[in-house]
Amino acid sequence: MNNTLLENSTQWMKSDPQNSKRTLQRHKLIDRIATALMSLAALLLVLVLLSVIGILLYRGLSTISWKFLTTAGTFTEIGGGIGPQIFVSVYILFLSLLFTTPLGVGAAIYLAEYAKPGRLTTAIRFSTETLASVPSIVFGIFGAIVFLTVMGLGYSVLSGALTLTLLNLPLMVRIAEDAIRAVPNAYREASLALAGTQWETIRKIILPAALPGIITAIVLTGGRIIGETAPLILTTGTTISPNAQYSLNPFQTGETLAVHIWVLKIVGVPGLKDAQKVADGTAAVLLLIVLIVNVGAAYLSQRLQKNLRGAR
Amino acid sequence: MALAIQRTKPAELQSSPNEPVAIEANQLNIYYGKFRAVRDLNLSVPARKITAMIGPSGCGKSTVLRSFNRMNDLVAIAHTEGEVLFQKHNIYAPEVDPVEVRRRIGMVFQKPNPFPKSIYDNIAWGARINGFKGNMDELVERSLRQAALWDDVKEKLHQSALGLSGGQQQRLCIARTIATQPEIILMDEPCSALDPIATLKIEDLMRELASNYTIIIVTHSMQQAARVSDFTAFFMVDEQRAGHLVEYGPTKGLFTNPKDQRTEDYITGRFG
Repeated sequence: MNNTLLENSTQWMKSDPQNSKRTLQRHKLIDRIATALMSLAALLLVLVLLSVIGILLYRGLSTISWKFLTTAGTFTEIGGGIGPQIFVSVYILFLSLLFTTPLGVGAAIYLAEYAKPGRLTTAIRFSTETLASVPSIVFGIFGAIVFLTVMGLGYSVLSGALTLTLLNLPLMVRIAEDAIRAVPNAYREASLALAGTQWETIRKIILPAALPGIITAIVLTGGRIIGETAPLILTTGTTISPNAQYSLNPFQTGETLAVHIWVLKIVGVPGLKDAQKVADGTAAVLLLIVLIVNVGAAYLSQRLQKNLRGAR
Repeated sequence: MALAIQRTKPAELQSSPNEPVAIEANQLNIYYGKFRAVRDLNLSVPARKITAMIGPSGCGKSTVLRSFNRMNDLVAIAHTEGEVLFQKHNIYAPEVDPVEVRRRIGMVFQKPNPFPKSIYDNIAWGARINGFKGNMDELVERSLRQAALWDDVKEKLHQSALGLSGGQQQRLCIARTIATQPEIILMDEPCSALDPIATLKIEDLMRELASNYTIIIVTHSMQQAARVSDFTAFFMVDEQRAGHLVEYGPTKGLFTNPKDQRTEDYITGRFG
């Protein structure tokens, strides 16, 4: 096809033009196939995501109404509400992040900025990695022993929040540490050369620069808190007392949206006729919450990054 | 033969007799782990002059510069023997706080490294953490004027410093250092990331600052050392790759009439 190019090519190509032409064509073909396969994979991913969102919303949206979102379900009325479950979910999310964020970011700062290479650091890092791969229900069992029995907190929002804190700490530490390490060393040097102390450097230079990454860590952790079931069933329970709906008392039992779905689908609620419909509606609400939080966080993180990069 | 030459004291001007001394290295040895990067350095730097440190790559000149404000403390394996005297105090004495040292001895780095903050906040940051109580707007303006950057940025003080050009960023870093009012400014190849015009601007600026500050500059460019400095120190490595001072004296003398054969070889471009 492009003869001039071939003719100007290297010696070995000239010696066997027929063969080198075939080689070139074969390489081009392989290149095209690879491009097509990768694009297909990406397309498939988008399709899967869209169908998850589409199917869940299609099945659930009809159930969602203002009443569904703001009232408690009753056994006598069809339609059921999930107001208290939304409240408990948000409450546990808030409480658990309140514990996880300072602990996790603190440990990440220690590992990234203070820890000297050595046995202690290796041990901390190894245990963090190990904890990150422990199944969540095992944390549920642990929480049930320590928080419910030993500390006597009983089935409660607090026990659940603490259990989820333990579950999520390794993830938080790892992502936050990566974010802190990614801050250019030049900033540290500049700050110290201006007679900044290590703490001033961390607080005023490094943490602001690492903030987008830390927000990512918080969002991922938050998503896991919202979606977790097994450890919460074992530590927070599966019921909300009718006398304590929307109660801020952390010692109450509780039921999050995700646990509610599990109860509706697997355990069943005696007398509730439209359990399937309520479960679908709850799933749609859960999905919407996660989507809104993710989009919001992505927006915030992008704006922060833009500021850091120097756009106006 | 080579060894005999190395043992001789650096030619001329161990201490510049008639100049008040700003900072002085006394039998300074710097190690990275077991490796000795700088050997037996004796060097006294005159106040309110520009002193250039030149030499081939790996000759320890940057290491020496960073030892003058204890930036080597950041390198876990670095360790220092001997003294660095600043106003007659050894800055490596155990009771000395490195933060205090860096308040008195500022540093400008090879690559411009403004914070991802506004131009104003870049200047104000060092002053703020050092407890500056005066008029911050005035300090920012004065520092920017001294760094010959005021006219470029006075309209956009609250925009990000990262939007500036490389040369402007480096002048901002100099302004930021001036704002904390140090006595000595260390410059570690401050122009190596800049184009020739920006480089000349920084050199002009250095000349102006030299009336108020002691400046020590590490540079790869002999032309720059010749253009800008009053005194020049030439470093080399020995067989053990330890950096040491070969010759030190007034820049004019060193470039026109070097006392040491190795200095002559280097400045005439025979090696390095």
